[in-house]
Amino acid sequence: MRSSLSARAKVVLYGLLCVLCLPFVFPAWWMVTSSFKPIGDIFGYPPSLLPGTWQLSAYRDVFTLQPFARQYLNSLYIAAIVTVGTVAVSALAGYAFARIRFRGANVLFLVILAGLLVPSEATIVPLFQLFRSLHLVDTHWPLILVPVLGAPSVLATFIMRQFFIALPDELEQAACLDGLGRFGMFWRVALPLSRPALAAVTIFTFLQSWNLYLEPIVYLSTPDKFTLPQALTQYVDSYGGAMWNVQLAASSLTAVPMLIVFVIAQRQFIQGLAHTGITG
Amino acid sequence: MSAHPPPRDEVPGVAGRPRRRWWTARRVDSLAGYLFIAPQVLGSIVFVLVPLGMVFYYSLHEWNVLAGTFHFVGLDNYRQLAEDPNTPSVLRATAFFSAGLVVLDLALALLLAVLLNQKIRGIAFFRLLFFSPVVVSVVAWSIVWGFLLQDNGGVNGILHAIGIDGPNWLRQGGTSIVSIILVQVFKNVGLNMVLFLAAMQGVPPQLHEAAQLDGAGAWTRFWRITMPMISPTILLASIITIAGSLQMFAQVSVLTQGGPGNATNVLVYYLYQQAFQFHHFGYGATLAVLLFGIVLALTLVQWRMRRKWVMYEV
Amino acid sequence: MRRTTVLRALAAAVALTTTLAACGSGDTPASGGPTTLRFALFSSNPKQLALLNGIAADYHAGHPQVSVKFDSIPQDSYTATLTTQIAGGQAPDLAWILGGAAPDFVSSGALAPLTDTLSRNADYQYGDLLPNATKVWSGGGTLYAYPFSTSPFGVFVNTDLLAKAGQQTPAELIAAGRWDWTALASMAAATAAGTGKAGLVVRDFDYKNWYQLATVWDGWGAQAWGGDGKSCGFDKPAMASAMSFLHKAVFADKAMPGPGTTADFFAGDSAMTITQISRASLLADKFKWDLVPLPSGPAGAYGVFGQAGVGVFSSSRNVGQATDFLAFMTGPANSLKLAEFFPPPRRSQLTADTLAKANPLLSPAQLQNVVVNGITNGVPQDSHTNFAEIDQTVRAALDPLWQADADVTKVLSGVCAKIQPLLNR
Repeated sequence: MRSSLSARAKVVLYGLLCVLCLPFVFPAWWMVTSSFKPIGDIFGYPPSLLPGTWQLSAYRDVFTLQPFARQYLNSLYIAAIVTVGTVAVSALAGYAFARIRFRGANVLFLVILAGLLVPSEATIVPLFQLFRSLHLVDTHWPLILVPVLGAPSVLATFIMRQFFIALPDELEQAACLDGLGRFGMFWRVALPLSRPALAAVTIFTFLQSWNLYLEPIVYLSTPDKFTLPQALTQYVDSYGGAMWNVQLAASSLTAVPMLIVFVIAQRQFIQGLAHTGITG
Repeated sequence: MSAHPPPRDEVPGVAGRPRRRWWTARRVDSLAGYLFIAPQVLGSIVFVLVPLGMVFYYSLHEWNVLAGTFHFVGLDNYRQLAEDPNTPSVLRATAFFSAGLVVLDLALALLLAVLLNQKIRGIAFFRLLFFSPVVVSVVAWSIVWGFLLQDNGGVNGILHAIGIDGPNWLRQGGTSIVSIILVQVFKNVGLNMVLFLAAMQGVPPQLHEAAQLDGAGAWTRFWRITMPMISPTILLASIITIAGSLQMFAQVSVLTQGGPGNATNVLVYYLYQQAFQFHHFGYGATLAVLLFGIVLALTLVQWRMRRKWVMYEV
Repeated sequence: MRRTTVLRALAAAVALTTTLAACGSGDTPASGGPTTLRFALFSSNPKQLALLNGIAADYHAGHPQVSVKFDSIPQDSYTATLTTQIAGGQAPDLAWILGGAAPDFVSSGALAPLTDTLSRNADYQYGDLLPNATKVWSGGGTLYAYPFSTSPFGVFVNTDLLAKAGQQTPAELIAAGRWDWTALASMAAATAAGTGKAGLVVRDFDYKNWYQLATVWDGWGAQAWGGDGKSCGFDKPAMASAMSFLHKAVFADKAMPGPGTTADFFAGDSAMTITQISRASLLADKFKWDLVPLPSGPAGAYGVFGQAGVGVFSSSRNVGQATDFLAFMTGPANSLKLAEFFPPPRRSQLTADTLAKANPLLSPAQLQNVVVNGITNGVPQDSHTNFAEIDQTVRAALDPLWQADADVTKVLSGVCAKIQPLLNR
């Protein structure tokens, strides 16, 4: 697989990739370029690849119509806390389920697994009642607590468990002989080896928090507390019609940090795994 | 659960004591295990199991949110589920959607991972391109595709240019669900692609080299070496994808609203309609219980079957 | 071990369930302290919010203990969010309500009655409200929500495109007394054939939102259901001829773009569009345009308007204060301010003069013919209890109609078979 390809194979490969990437790239391209078009041109037919006239007004409107910078900050800090919290919770739990033997582990794992299976539409009403009784509606707490401790973090625990299970036993036996306790083994031995899995969890978790849609709309009602997906829906004209160019400009702005996270994390993720020689 | 370190309770206690201490190393280790999982387990109880229990409790009630009425009706909602003329078509659409999505998503993710697992110039850029839809908001993505899949949209424009008369994608029963599957595959295949890519890079190159010396072609090596070696990742990806396929409705909501007819009305969208649009919270809760049951059953089946096809124990 | 863990979790779940369900009600009434009323609405438009906040500030000046907070909820998830909040015991004090949902809110008891408060104050001029505008918002002679927005449908015309295709303008047809559906359809077909653009677009219909077609079938005297809400109207002869007319216009004459084809009037892609006059704000200087009333159909002239209401939730702890604010917000003086965006349901304010201030784009004649006459003589769009479910059921059952070889009568009787159980409920 790694052997270098012949020139012809390379041409074929490049050609194949270029064709395949069309359905992936075109919508994103359209989103970004349309944000520079006058609103009347966006849904013109046939769709145009580049704006006839470039205008930046949509990007100005993004910030004047909503406290967009503040909302951006909200989304960033919530996603950051959720990511750090989820990594901590899921690494600990995933490690324990993979490598520590204790009574009831299987049952407890199944209990947790339920979270992977519950759509958020199904439990939003009871959760709303819970947070209302705690007087936490219209705060960011529901958007932090539920992802870190509830259903969304289960996927992370699952990934971490799969990873830790594959770690060779010898590493920990050596650590045990060195007198390290459980936490020491986790912190000093297992965690440093798990960078690829942590990168995967980081990507998944950050994405999930960043894109959370139903929950902010239900819980938050003050524009200064809104998150980005919710803010996107607020760019409408006097009659409820979407201001497409502004929405697309805001969508483009929200996609940027995610691409940066990916570029950074994918090196860790893909190359990190290769170094440890561990799959899955 | 096989790869555990050996039990450590054989570690001898401090000499001279007549009895073994209660806090044996094994018990300490167990305690560590419980402490490690405590946040996750407590969180799951409070934010998953209790709400789930409440959903089950609601499903035994007739709850009209607007009128503020809440009556116990026993199993009436489940009886309604059995008699609901929409149930068969909703279940059929859900099954078709999930099966199609999982097969296409995993196959395309594998193909992309193989193609992108080459050491050529610019490969990181291509990885970024294929991953980029993942970061686009679902709603924006669906709107763009809704536009492209119009009868006079971009897709049919391209097909027309090469002499094919394209269908009216979103307005016909057969093509509408296929369209939604494809839109979702393009959106999220990047995630599975990255997982597979990482797994493939972890396959020791010596295995391939040895097989190559034995005269195995690329195809044989892929099926005999790569696939078995990454099978645990495939299991993980398929569980995630199936669970996800049953839980998403933004695409349906933007692209077809369940139509034409009921062709794309999948369970989670129907649940949302019943509870939030039609105000039948009790019945919506019943559908949620059904959805939970289906996902649970599928996951358990996959978990059981993993021994059959996953190369090493997970 | 296994079993007890599961059982314990279940027990905890049930225990928490009952306590939480119990605390869903029983809030104490507000005392004399400062109150903030929460007002849910589906607009986040800064100009509209500024207007509303201005009215709330005026009210606050006279009632220092009461302030109002406006919560913008996106229209797509408006009902779902409102429902979740109501189910969670945290309903807003006041809310905008979409026209289709009016009967649900009126009949369920979710809204507090308004008539007593509004009619008590002579300055409010309760009798000034138009009966056909308040009809769907009333039950048993009591008003439950105020129809703050009553926006009639009209036909916007791209006169440039018509001229290019060598067609007469609707204004000329109106002057000649020949502005009817047959004329409109042939103009649309000729323009589509002559210019390559689309003919007529029923805006927001998109072959999904069938209730927008009331702007067409009312011309045939057809109805989705009878006035009692019990008898299905889709299988009646009037509906069959209206739908056959539409089907022919779409598939045989190509007067309307087919399903899954976009053509935006305001981008210059179609010759005519049926929509609410409030969309006039979307007009740019791209082309010459006119706004005319809906054409007459076989059953004569007709008008249709869409509505949104505002009501007070009976579960609110501040029903009295909220109702008082509603009365302030919708009284004659503020109704005039709101007219900038929302045509008022008041007879005295429904004049071309008043409306001209709010709609500088429209001429007095356009305002008189389309807006004033449209509201005074029009009927609201269809609504029904459990509208959302009926809506989805009709949409699914009507889908087979939008095929070139559809059997119109068969599809329509199929619609009735599907929705009759819902209408009977």
